[in-house]
Amino acid sequence: MLELVTLSKRYGEVIALDGLSMTVGAGRIHGFVGRNGAGKTTTMRITLGLARADAGEVRWQGRPVSPEDRRGFGYMPEERGLYPRMTALRQIVYFARLSGMEAGEARAAALAILESMGIAERSGEPVERLSLGNQQRCQLAAALVTSPQLLVLDEPFSGLDPVGVDNLAGVLQAQVDRGTAVVFSSHQLDLVERLSDEVTIIDRGRVVASGPVGEVRRSRGADQLKVALEGGGTAWADDLADATVVARFGDEVVLELRPGGDDQAVLDAARRAGRVRSFHRAAPSLTELFREVVSA
Amino acid sequence: MNKFDAVRLVAAREIGERIRSKAFKISAGVSLAFILTVAILPGVIGDGGPTTYDVGVFGARSDALEARLSEVAAFADDVAVDVHRLASEDEGRRLVASGDLDAAVGDGRVVVDRVLSDHLGLIVREANRQVTGEAALAGAGVEGAAAARLLAPEPLAVQALEPRSETETTREGLVFVGTLLLYGQLIGFGYWVASGVVEEKASRVVEVLLAKAPPNQLLAGKVIGVGVVGVAQLVGLVVIGLVAAAATGSIDLPPETVPVAAQVVAWFLLGFALYSCLYAVAGAIASRAEELQSTTTPLTFLAVGSFFAAITTGGDPGGPVGQVATFVPFSAPMVLPIRVAAGEIEPWEVAAGVAIVVASILAAMRLAARVYAGGAMHLRGQMKVRQALRAEETSRTGA
Repeated sequence: MLELVTLSKRYGEVIALDGLSMTVGAGRIHGFVGRNGAGKTTTMRITLGLARADAGEVRWQGRPVSPEDRRGFGYMPEERGLYPRMTALRQIVYFARLSGMEAGEARAAALAILESMGIAERSGEPVERLSLGNQQRCQLAAALVTSPQLLVLDEPFSGLDPVGVDNLAGVLQAQVDRGTAVVFSSHQLDLVERLSDEVTIIDRGRVVASGPVGEVRRSRGADQLKVALEGGGTAWADDLADATVVARFGDEVVLELRPGGDDQAVLDAARRAGRVRSFHRAAPSLTELFREVVSA
Repeated sequence: MNKFDAVRLVAAREIGERIRSKAFKISAGVSLAFILTVAILPGVIGDGGPTTYDVGVFGARSDALEARLSEVAAFADDVAVDVHRLASEDEGRRLVASGDLDAAVGDGRVVVDRVLSDHLGLIVREANRQVTGEAALAGAGVEGAAAARLLAPEPLAVQALEPRSETETTREGLVFVGTLLLYGQLIGFGYWVASGVVEEKASRVVEVLLAKAPPNQLLAGKVIGVGVVGVAQLVGLVVIGLVAAAATGSIDLPPETVPVAAQVVAWFLLGFALYSCLYAVAGAIASRAEELQSTTTPLTFLAVGSFFAAITTGGDPGGPVGQVATFVPFSAPMVLPIRVAAGEIEPWEVAAGVAIVVASILAAMRLAARVYAGGAMHLRGQMKVRQALRAEETSRTGA
């Protein structure tokens, strides 16, 4: 289990982290969300020992993290992180050896991970000659080759097509299934919501929400109703006693229940206005939650 | 895994990738072709022998001229004269014009095509002086041995105050050439280090590396790796060149070649350690390969300045430039071996020079490791050394 305890970090006048705390459990996928400059990358770098916190502590398995622990972590920086002119196989062996594996062991592990990523037959080519998708696979292979207990990924999904997203999601799930703690940052909130067990939202170096995705979604504000009529417009929802309008998309309206409001009364009002095509009650999505908490 | 493992791994990667790189293969190929050309060509086209002049003699005293020309030419090591008897001055003019003769001499005149070279001029004038002198003496009744003594006295005996052996001269020459050669390469190797550092920054590999090993170990591995490749390449080229030269008979190698070469390489390693750390600084404050041009400029100036100091010292090993440059860390590794080979240095100067260089290497390593760590995370735009140090300081404080 990774614990970040009240991390603070300043760069000159800029406060990058302001007492940030979060926990990533073994066998969990933890989504890490925030606007650009919120402190995601700084947090990851401090976790890996690439930057040091001015105050606070990084703990691993219940004690302060050691350089040996960190050597065993898998890390994928936001961009590349590979030698462009070195072949995929040689550099993955190299990173494995720097992590402390013996030569034979490192080679076997590298071949196995490249095989499982489906790029074994390209492993003799310089990385710069691989397609972007294969470069990303190679990068991931470099992070996974030591079978790390903690995997830290900075924006791993950026630039991937939907098939690539699914592949990467599958790889992460496999890691989690063998007990790895995975933390990844992303701007794609729907993706974070879909893939993560837990989520931490940060803003200006502070945690604004953190916990299991469902809990975080329910923690903020009331449940929402999504109601769509067939060609009935959305004007019917303007002056309801039980709910207020949050957003409109064509004939669909998103409503937030007032305290003590009755969803059935809203449904009745909708049916009076026209034919109800869909009616859906749910906690706010992560996207909505994110908009709300970071713009506050 | 201990710290030497990390240094060894980084160095091994550096060596492996350098040797595989196209740039290395091309530069090694070009250097090899150059060395082989220089080494073999003289043996094949046959330089080395003395310059031979074809001189024709004509006129009344052509017998005497012929004899004196050969005698005078024998005094000079690198010149020989082939004398041709001519029927007339006209024949001489014709042969000089056609290029068969370098000069035709007789009756107080010398015929040349355009100019009389200094070398040949000296020989021809001296021979002519002796011939006319002989005639004058004969007219005055002095002949035979007495005349010969007057005209060609015993040559001056040379008494050197500090006689210099042939091997000493050879050693000095080898050291001088070796030092300059190696330092010509220094800028190249230093640039490798700088570009290696910036490549890791530009590709963000440095983030992955720094999570695995501390910056001083990464840097030490890189410098050692590049150094091994560089020295191995040079030693390989020199050995190939010398073997080829010896095989084709282009040069005679004196027996002290090997110890002299070893000495030059040892000094070079000190110089390389110093310069490569500074080149690593230049790499660490750049974020893209394009910026290396400007960040390495001060180092290029230092290296070129030291190079000129070494050349000056080669001409005057005990002179003021050499004396000052002995105590400047950037030039000491180039200047010291030259002064040592010439014997123009006090033992304390050698000790002080080495101490200064070693202290500077330690300081440069510390500086380089700090700037590398501070600059590694600065991924956009060029930064100042001071900025990188500050970044490193803030990253060290706290937990």
